[in-house]
Amino acid sequence: MILFENVGFRYGRGPDILQGLNFEIPDGEFTFITGASGAGKSSLLRLLYLDDLPTAGKISLFERDVATLTRDEIAWFRRRIGVVFQDFRLLDHLTAAENVALPLKVAGAREAAYRDNVAEMLHWVGLGEQMNVRPPHLSGGEKQRVAIARAVVASPDIILADEPTGSVDPEMAERIMQLFLEMNRLGKTIVFATHDLEMVNRSKQPRIDLSTKTTNNGMAA
Amino acid sequence: MRRSSLIPFKAGGGFLMALIVAAMAFLACFALGGALGASKLANAWTEGLSGAATVRIGAEDGAPEQQLGIVLDILKSSEGVIDAVPLTTDEVAALLKPWFGATPELADLPAPAIVAVTIDPLNEPDTAIIQARLDGAAAGAVYDDHGEWRGRAASAAHAVRSVAIGALIVCAFAIASVVILTVRTGLSAHKENIATLRLAGAEDRYVAGLYQSRYFWLGLLGGVLGCLLAFAAMIGFDAMPTVSRALPALELPTYWWLVFPGVILFVVILCILAARFTVLGTLRRGA
Ligand SMILES: Nc1ncnc2c1ncn2[C@@H]1O[C@H](COP(=O)(O)OP(=O)(O)OP(=O)(O)O)[C@@H](O)[C@H]1O
Ligand SMILES: [Mg+2]
Repeated sequence: MILFENVGFRYGRGPDILQGLNFEIPDGEFTFITGASGAGKSSLLRLLYLDDLPTAGKISLFERDVATLTRDEIAWFRRRIGVVFQDFRLLDHLTAAENVALPLKVAGAREAAYRDNVAEMLHWVGLGEQMNVRPPHLSGGEKQRVAIARAVVASPDIILADEPTGSVDPEMAERIMQLFLEMNRLGKTIVFATHDLEMVNRSKQPRIDLSTKTTNNGMAA
Repeated sequence: MRRSSLIPFKAGGGFLMALIVAAMAFLACFALGGALGASKLANAWTEGLSGAATVRIGAEDGAPEQQLGIVLDILKSSEGVIDAVPLTTDEVAALLKPWFGATPELADLPAPAIVAVTIDPLNEPDTAIIQARLDGAAAGAVYDDHGEWRGRAASAAHAVRSVAIGALIVCAFAIASVVILTVRTGLSAHKENIATLRLAGAEDRYVAGLYQSRYFWLGLLGGVLGCLLAFAAMIGFDAMPTVSRALPALELPTYWWLVFPGVILFVVILCILAARFTVLGTLRRGA
């Protein structure tokens, strides 16, 4: 369960990016985060993948106040959270397959144990032929799919996706959307940030809108 | 699946640092070799002296023959003295030869009488007590157990050892510094890369492990290179005829070659530890 209590956030001494956020995302729920460009969607996800602490209020994750986590605990929590970064954050010197394997490798898994799993993931996102290609030689959409495969490969409890359909054509966007819905059916909690309101409106999943600070179920965000 | 390092270390990037490590390992070998050689030399000097003493009876102090008898009695009844034998005139002449040359008239000169004393090295007699007894009975008889000479040899060896230890500390300090410096530079150059590893769930010690294995190899390369050069230099040094003639006793102990694996091991461990603690410290400070 993800719980935000009166959360505020700003970068250094800059302006408040997020203010007075209160919401709860139960386990296994698929939630959209919407809002105009610059509304703070990526910043909110950043708090969820523990790259920053809230500057006000309290965030609870897996029943823990995130402000009390040690550096090791942060690492262990991140193994339960898969993230599709808006800018992908792929390592350019590694192949697509090595990038996808990263969360497994840093958690200490042996290559023999995950090789097939990684190959399967890459086939699934349509990159079976590009396994040994490095990110600089991939298109934006292909990089995005590598990032998606990496986010889900370790079967995390929570998947955070920041505009995961931003760089692909509508057909691929639909496939990716189906992928996340499928993950959700498997019990994963999905937090999906997008400004593609059309896509959000097509689905009936709950949403948190950062521009208006409302949720579609009436709870003040 | 190909296997690449998770941090894109530059292939030649560590070579300069390995060279500095090599230079330090080279110096460390010489410092250790010098310390071992000095100890061995001091032992060689003092060993031959520690079982022996002499008593000199001045020629000018009356009847030497009479005094000789008294001196021998005193010596033989002293604790720690195993034997006391007066040198023959010929033996004394041989001792004096370097100063006077082979003069047949030496026997006519008032040469001092000399007693060679064999003492128990494990239970050395007290110099002061013997001298006091001699003073009471045979004025002019001087007991000499080379204590002063042995003390000076020992303190020279001690000084060389201190310098060697100081040099080793300086080498260790230089190696640790160059590791700390290059690791810090690397961490800041690969900051984004490391942030991605952390976001993928890597603990700090996992990142440290990547640096440790890299610095293990660099340390090994530098250590082996430096020790090989030092080995070659020492062999060459030893083979120079002027050196072995001038310093006949400067022979290293039989186990001297242990210096090389010892220095390599030391360098490698130092590199690994310095890399580990630099990474852990820097990451914890949030760099
Ligand atoms: N690292 C940073 N340092 C300072 N300010 C930042 C930083 N990252 C983002 N901001 C600011 O925070 C605000 C919110 O940015 P954020 O990236 O969270 O928005 P967003 O909703 O994800 O936008 P988009 O839809 O364009 O991705 C912006 O005004 C941005 O300038
Ligand atoms: Mg964003």
